[in-house]
Amino acid sequence: MSPAALTAVSPTRSASSNNDVVVSVRGLTKVFKDFWGRPKALAVDNVDFDVRRGEVFGLLGPNGSGKSTTVKLILGLLHPTKGFIEVFGHSPRHVATKERIGYLPEESYLYRYLNSRETLEFFGNLFELPKDDRRKRAEQLLEMVGLSQVHLRSVGEFSKGMQRRIGLAQALINDPDLVILDEPTSGLDPIGCREVKDLILALARRGKTVILSSHLLADVEDVCDRVVIYYGGRIQAMGPLRELLANPDAIQITTPALPRETMERVLQIIRQDVAADKVRVDTPTQNLETYFLDVVQKARQAAAETSGATSGARVAAYLRGEAEPAPTPDRILERLTAPPPKPVEAAPPAPAPAETAAQAKLEALTRPEPAAPAPAPAPAAEPARQAELEKANEKLAALLGKPRS
Amino acid sequence: MQRVFAIIWLTWKAAFRFRLFLVVAALLLLTVVAFPLLIKDDGTARGFTQIVLTYTLSTIAALLGLSTLWLACGTLARDIEECQMQVVATKPIARWQIWIGKYLGILTLNAALLALSGASVYALLQFRATRLPPEQQHILRSEVLVARGSAREASLEQEIQSETDRLLRERLARSPVSQVDLAEVRKQIYEQVKAEYQLVQPGYIRVWEINLGPARHRLRDKPLQIRFKYNSADRSPSGTFTVLFQVGVPDKTPLWRSEPMSVAPDTFHEFEIPPNLFDADGLLTISALNPNNTSLLFPLDEGMEVLYPQGGFAPNYLRGLGIIFCWMAVLAALGLAAASLMSFPVAAFFSLSLLALVFFSGTMASAVAEGTIAEFDAERGTRGSSPADVVVIPTFKALLAVINLVKSFSPVDSLSTGRSITWGQLGLAFAQIVVLLGGLLCAAGIAIFHRRELATAQATP
Repeated sequence: MSPAALTAVSPTRSASSNNDVVVSVRGLTKVFKDFWGRPKALAVDNVDFDVRRGEVFGLLGPNGSGKSTTVKLILGLLHPTKGFIEVFGHSPRHVATKERIGYLPEESYLYRYLNSRETLEFFGNLFELPKDDRRKRAEQLLEMVGLSQVHLRSVGEFSKGMQRRIGLAQALINDPDLVILDEPTSGLDPIGCREVKDLILALARRGKTVILSSHLLADVEDVCDRVVIYYGGRIQAMGPLRELLANPDAIQITTPALPRETMERVLQIIRQDVAADKVRVDTPTQNLETYFLDVVQKARQAAAETSGATSGARVAAYLRGEAEPAPTPDRILERLTAPPPKPVEAAPPAPAPAETAAQAKLEALTRPEPAAPAPAPAPAAEPARQAELEKANEKLAALLGKPRS
Repeated sequence: MQRVFAIIWLTWKAAFRFRLFLVVAALLLLTVVAFPLLIKDDGTARGFTQIVLTYTLSTIAALLGLSTLWLACGTLARDIEECQMQVVATKPIARWQIWIGKYLGILTLNAALLALSGASVYALLQFRATRLPPEQQHILRSEVLVARGSAREASLEQEIQSETDRLLRERLARSPVSQVDLAEVRKQIYEQVKAEYQLVQPGYIRVWEINLGPARHRLRDKPLQIRFKYNSADRSPSGTFTVLFQVGVPDKTPLWRSEPMSVAPDTFHEFEIPPNLFDADGLLTISALNPNNTSLLFPLDEGMEVLYPQGGFAPNYLRGLGIIFCWMAVLAALGLAAASLMSFPVAAFFSLSLLALVFFSGTMASAVAEGTIAEFDAERGTRGSSPADVVVIPTFKALLAVINLVKSFSPVDSLSTGRSITWGQLGLAFAQIVVLLGGLLCAAGIAIFHRRELATAQATP
């Protein structure tokens, strides 16, 4: 599908939640049988749901609840015992339909003897991508998942996290309309998790449909529009996440710190309608992920080279729906002859209108340290904050082990 | 095709990254080049051929056959077991394309290995031939490093059958035989009649009339070779018996008589005859005199044969390698078909067992010839029968029919004896082995793979 055709798909998430069904599952049942054909396990039991174009749909449930089996049934890797599935209006075994699907399995089932570039080349060939497109996409994807520096190492030598990254890259080589991600953040560090979640959001903004299977509640909560919750092969709950999680009997107000008198006045007004024991005032805390990313960003100020995965760069241009500008001799000359950037120019450029806050954040995280003068010493007003960060750093180092050298 | 090429490329990559290609290539070169260089032949053309051609080509076929089966089972079964196939099968590539890609990948690998080892053997052959004594070199060039056509006596089977029927009728007229024994009686009469056609009594002459057919036009002024073999029930002190030959058509062509030849039984012998001993119709008459005190038996199928030059050795050698390649193709199809259904170890075991069955097909053939799997009863002097014969014998017959599709070609034997492997034979081998048998295996393998659930197992590391 051409980028033009892709961008024609509903550009916003709210607008895309129409009745344009991408995956339809009805009465789906899967019974695993033994060698003699006797029922062994009921993995999926009479499941119905639809996934609509442009939504991020979560399959949530504990291990062994039937999420992965459902995904494999949708992909045609397993045959339903009962019920039917349609993907883009066709059977899951319909070969041409697979041109529109990207799949990341729960483990990185990749060829260990291929390096990451060869892996992407191979899967690009299965989509019959022209050579130039294949190469370009492979480069962008490797850059995006932070493996461009290790593209000549065999996948078998990769850590689990790096294998997940290359697995994710292969799932996106065809710029799919439907992306099926089975435990996409499994084995990834918090930065990788954040990047994957940002990527999912970026894909959804482009009107792509994402099916996300996970048992990590935070992953699903961060990105999904709608979820089904599995237990014992059956759907226990289903609906838009906001509706499922909303508590209509309570409200929350967050403001900057207020003077004591103002607070007293506000509480006095509230207590006129609500019993005193029903009102709670506390200081909001950021979640651990945000805090961790902050710590890592600071630590990266003194970043050394790594033989592992680097933090991913921007979402690949073709996945953002951007046309790649052809490098012209003039631009190359301009770049080669341009004066070194001044420290003030190292500030993040204003995001393009099409870019999202998530992409900007991703960029900010992965921006290389400017080559110009050494950074100014930390302001003296922040010694306490600095000490706090160092403490957190030590804690994380103890938890995660030393960074790869 | 880009998708199929991608799978072919992947198969090559796996063979190189797992060093299978290099190991097999090294083994082939070691066994077909290094060993023959170390082993001394006996200085005769025959001994030289035995080591440099028969041994090496048989080794190539065996080594490549085993590696083909192993690779074919591994490349598909392991992809399924290690779950990489789950990722490939979710891409827009049909299952049959995956299967065919694997098959073509193995075939191209085999072609490369066969070309490498075949070229090495050819170079070794030419190099070592120069070190033989001049008279042995002449024999080698005229009997081995050539492509010779073959002519034999017209089949006598019909004549033997009608003679058998005539004698049986006479026998029945003299004394009736019960219906149960009729087949046995006929069989014995048949063997007697056949023996009469094969046996040359002491002091008697056996005459063969062999038509050279259309080849006669090209054979004027060219020497021909006679290849013969006989058996004897007795042994002589020297281990040999004397035979005299006369070749030529009386009253039509000059006659050539051999000196008395003292030759061993149960093995093939060749001698050259002068040119132009056949008549205008291409008929060549060969008479063999038995001056010994014991009968000599010249088997009907391989007792007497005329060999004549038909082409060069190099193209013949290539066609021979072509037939070996056809064998590899059917082994690749067998391995992949087994791997479409079974796990790697089971598929490998199954395929190797079938290969072993081919090597032991002689036992099946004799059971089919005897009509029973029962053992010979020494007390009665007869063979009994088994209740399982009803099932086993037809099964053996069916299996033999399939095995003979492959076994009916013997390129190594043909090359070692300097016989021509014609384009027709190569075409027939391709049709029988690759298209028919390989095609059936491919169809079965693809059908199984198409229906198989690829995500029933977790990955095995």
